[in-house]
Amino acid sequence: MKKHVLMAMGLAALAVWSGNAFAQSRDCRASRELLDLGNPLEIARTAVADEHELRIVAMGSSSTQGYGTTNPQFAYPAQLKMKLEAAMPGVAIHVFNKGIGGQDAEEMTARMRADVKPERAQLVVWQVGTNSAIRRTPTDQFANRLRAGIDIGKSLGANFVLMNLQYVPAVVALPDEEEYARVMAEVAKEKGAGLFRRFEIMRAWYNDGMPYAQFVTSDGLHLNDFGQKCIGKLLSQAIIDTIVPKKLTGTPKTSR
Amino acid sequence: MAAAAPYVAPHQRDIRLDLFRGLALWFIFVDHVPENIVSWLTVRNYGFSDATEIFVYISGYTAVIAYSRMLARDGWPRTASRIYRRVWQLYVAHILLFVAFIAQIAWVSIARDTPALIEEMELLGLGQNPYQAILEAALLKFRPVNLDVLPLYIVLLAAFPFVLPAVVRWPLAVIGVSVALYAATCHYNWNLDAYPEGKVWYFNPMAWQVVFHAGAAAVVLGPRLAWLDRWRWPLAILAVLYLLFSALIALSWQYNSLSRLIPDWISRQIYPIDKTNIDILRFVHFLAIAWLVRLAVPADAAFLKWRVFEPVRRCGEHSLQVFCLGTFLALTAQVVVANYENSIVSQVVVSIVGIAIMCVIAYCAAWFSGPPARKAAA
Repeated sequence: MKKHVLMAMGLAALAVWSGNAFAQSRDCRASRELLDLGNPLEIARTAVADEHELRIVAMGSSSTQGYGTTNPQFAYPAQLKMKLEAAMPGVAIHVFNKGIGGQDAEEMTARMRADVKPERAQLVVWQVGTNSAIRRTPTDQFANRLRAGIDIGKSLGANFVLMNLQYVPAVVALPDEEEYARVMAEVAKEKGAGLFRRFEIMRAWYNDGMPYAQFVTSDGLHLNDFGQKCIGKLLSQAIIDTIVPKKLTGTPKTSR
Repeated sequence: MAAAAPYVAPHQRDIRLDLFRGLALWFIFVDHVPENIVSWLTVRNYGFSDATEIFVYISGYTAVIAYSRMLARDGWPRTASRIYRRVWQLYVAHILLFVAFIAQIAWVSIARDTPALIEEMELLGLGQNPYQAILEAALLKFRPVNLDVLPLYIVLLAAFPFVLPAVVRWPLAVIGVSVALYAATCHYNWNLDAYPEGKVWYFNPMAWQVVFHAGAAAVVLGPRLAWLDRWRWPLAILAVLYLLFSALIALSWQYNSLSRLIPDWISRQIYPIDKTNIDILRFVHFLAIAWLVRLAVPADAAFLKWRVFEPVRRCGEHSLQVFCLGTFLALTAQVVVANYENSIVSQVVVSIVGIAIMCVIAYCAAWFSGPPARKAAA
C-alpha cells in the first residue's frame, strides 16, 4: 500500500516536471538589439588595441558580489574575465570586483573614486538600480546620483556600462521598477555611457516561458548560478561585440 | 512560569526524530545536486522552508534529549565537557569533509584532464592564497559551496552548555531570548564575517539559532504543549491554509502562468524571502509543518516501525556520518551529471545510488556502535 503511495507520488512529480519542461525554454540567450550597449566604449577599445590590456572595475551590490551563487566564480565579474580572456587572447584582462551587498546608488557614488582610481580602470561596469528602487529613492535623486558617479569615473579616465535592475519577483512587484530602468537609460544616453539591459533581457527570458526557478534563488531577489553565468556571458558578448573589430570576433561561442 | 524541577528526558527513544532527520538528510543530498529532477520529491518545491529547517530543529530537539539526563545525573561540568567533545567531533568531521571535498575536485580535474573544472569550481581564495584559505577554513570562515550547515551546527552546539541549564527550567524564557536575538539580528543586520572578505555566514547562526532553540524548548514544553490542543483544529486549519499559500508561491517560481496570478501587493509583502537570516515566512512555514506532523504522527504510531522506513531511520540515527557523506556524494553526483551525462535517467540513478550508499554507511555505523537503542542521540 505504501509502495503504491510512493509510486503515485513519484509519477505525479514526474508528470508535473515533464509538463513543466516542455513548456519552457532553458537556454541562455538574448536578441541582438538587447545586447547593443549604445556606446562605442572608445577608451576600452583603445586600451585593448594599443596596450593589449583591459582593466575593468565591476562596481555594484549583491549581484556583483555574487550572493546567491554556490561559488563566487559564477558571479558575472568572474565570468566576464573568463569570457573576455577566451575571446581576446593576448590581451591582459583584469576585473576588480567592487560589489558590496545592499548598497544603493548613493553609497556607490560615495566610494566611486576610492574604488576606481587605484585600479586605473578603462571600463567601469556599474550594476545599480535595484536597491534604490527597493528603497524607493525618488527617481530624480537617483538620476543625480548616477550622473555624479559617472562624472567621477569619467574624470578618472574610464568608460561606463550601466547594468540595470534584475527581473525577479521582488523587483517586478514594485510599483515603479520600470521607471528606474527608464531613468538609467536616459542618464546613460545623456552621459555617454553604455547600457546593459539586464531588466529587459531577463524579462524576455520570462516572457519566453523560462520559470523564475531557473534563474532566481528561492529568496525571489538574487540571481542563482544559471542567472549569474548567463548574465556574465551576455555581458561579455555585448562588450566584445562593441570593442573587438568584427573580423576578429568570429561567431561567439555559446557553449555552457 | 518557572517549572518546579528541571526537565529530564524520558528513556524511550522518539523514533519520529530518526525518521524525519533521516528524511531531511536524504532531501539535503538530493537538493544539492543541481537541477535534479528527484528534488521534486523533496519539500523545497512546495513551500518556503526546506530540509535545513528540519535538520536544525531536530538537532536542537535531540540535544536536549541527549544531555538533559546527563545534566541531572552528572552535573554541569561533565555535561558541558561531553557537549564540547561532541563539538570537537563535529569540527573534525567538518575539516575532514573540507579536505575530502577539495581532494575530490582536484582528483576529478586531474584524472579527467579538465582544469576548467578547478577553475569553475574554484574554491575562491584557495587558488590565490592557499595558506590564508586554510587558516580561514580552520576558523570556519572559509566554507566553499555546500559546506555551510556543519559550521552552523558547531556554533549552536558550542553555545548549548549555557542554554541547557536554562532551557530545562525556563523553556519559555529561552524562547523569549532566542526570538529577541533573532529579531534584533534581522533588524540590525548582524552577521559573522566569512572569507573571502566581504562575505558573511550563509546560515547566520544568530538568526538560525531560533530554529534550534525552538526545537530544544519544544522537548521541555512537550506535555504543556497539550495546552494548545484546545485550539487543535483552528490551528490545523490555519497551518493548512498557510502551507497551501506557500505552495502556491513556491510553485509560481516553476510556472509562469501561476506567477502571473500573484497580485503585486502580495509579492511586495513577501519578497525577498531571505534564507541567510531565515525569513519569518520560512520559520512560520516550518512551524506549520511541525504542528501538522505533531497531530498526524504520534510518537507511538505503528507505521514508524515499518521495515520500509528502517533505512531512513538508520540514516537519521547516524546523522553526522550520513550528512558528511551526503555532502561529499552530492558533489560526486554533480560531477557525474555535468561531465558524463545529464539526463533524467542519470539524475535518478545518481540520486538512488547516493542514497543507497548513505544507507549502507548508516547500517555499518549501527553495526559498529552496537544496538541502536543504546546509542544517545545528538
